[in-house]
Amino acid sequence: MTHNSDVLIANLVGNLEPVKPLRFAHGFGLALAAAAVSTVLLIGLYGMRPDLQMGHVNPVHLIATGLYLGLAIAASVTVVVMSRPCVGTDHSGWTWAAAMAALLPAAGLIVGMAGGGDLLSQDSLRHGINCFMIGGAGSLLVFAMLVWWLRKGAPTAPDRAGLVAGIAAGSFGIFAFSLHCAENDIVHIGVWHSAVVLAMAGVGRAIVPSLVRW
Amino acid sequence: MRADEASLARLMAMSQKGDRHAYATLLTECQRWLQRYYSRRIAPAQLDDLVQETLMALHNKLATWDSSRPFLPWLAAIARYRWVDHLRRLYRADECELDTDFAGHDDEPAISARISIDRLLGILPDAQARAIELVKIEGLSIAEASQATGQSESLIKVNIHRGLKKLAHMVEKA
Repeated sequence: MTHNSDVLIANLVGNLEPVKPLRFAHGFGLALAAAAVSTVLLIGLYGMRPDLQMGHVNPVHLIATGLYLGLAIAASVTVVVMSRPCVGTDHSGWTWAAAMAALLPAAGLIVGMAGGGDLLSQDSLRHGINCFMIGGAGSLLVFAMLVWWLRKGAPTAPDRAGLVAGIAAGSFGIFAFSLHCAENDIVHIGVWHSAVVLAMAGVGRAIVPSLVRW
Repeated sequence: MRADEASLARLMAMSQKGDRHAYATLLTECQRWLQRYYSRRIAPAQLDDLVQETLMALHNKLATWDSSRPFLPWLAAIARYRWVDHLRRLYRADECELDTDFAGHDDEPAISARISIDRLLGILPDAQARAIELVKIEGLSIAEASQATGQSESLIKVNIHRGLKKLAHMVEKA
């Protein structure tokens, strides 16, 4: 056995090539760049909300968009940190941002069940599905970038890394599409916009572990 | 003599730049460290395989160490991941090899492994611990475990699944 280990070490030494260490700033910068490209693409394709174009802001829209952006940044930081193994590193920071963002679907459901929103009408459903589909599509570039980074790295909890990568991508995607979506209704935002984050989290949790190779 | 953190970090930084002499020294030191790390965690017969798997993981993931951070926590994280992965593979393979591995000529590893397993199982709810013990350790079938415990067969499966997941999570966080 010792002999086998010696042979292995000799082979590994023989195959050694210089490597460029993964830097946090590089990984996070790539995630932000992908998010910026997605945002520009979505706004270029669909246009910006009229009130934003005129320099006005709606408080509900501002808070919701800010919460998604905060969650996206916190989750992206966590994914990049998770790509570099280190005992004792805390990977739970994103959960606080997620807890705050969870107020949106909670508020949306409460208001919706109290009859304060028109969740099930034909128009509402069509608009919601539209936001869900385009927001989800807007997540894909960030998701691909984070998965690529995780594959380069060495996440020791691939399932959790996949979940958080999905949350980061979904949050960036719906943040970008929120700059177009003119809806200020908390029921629409809480249900359909949050659904993008949840769906991408599920996708990340399901597929990333099999994509990460050690 | 054991290499200290500073020496290992220096060797690793040189290895990342392609210094093969430093890398050979580093891998030899890591091999010794890993043998100590795993010796109390797995059966002796599996030790060398796991050390070699971890050395290969270290080689493949050389770029994930940042020279501004300590080396040993990085190595320990990779070692722990490989260990948890090894445990998962053992459970998934539904191995009866546990019997042959642990009931070899030297009883001490079997006894210490059993103590460790008992301690881990003690943290789980009784129903989950009992299901894992009967099916995964004593080798009963799901139907036999169901009869022995009074739990339905599907509940036995659910308890094994949840219990193993909880154990893996605890080991990861340890």
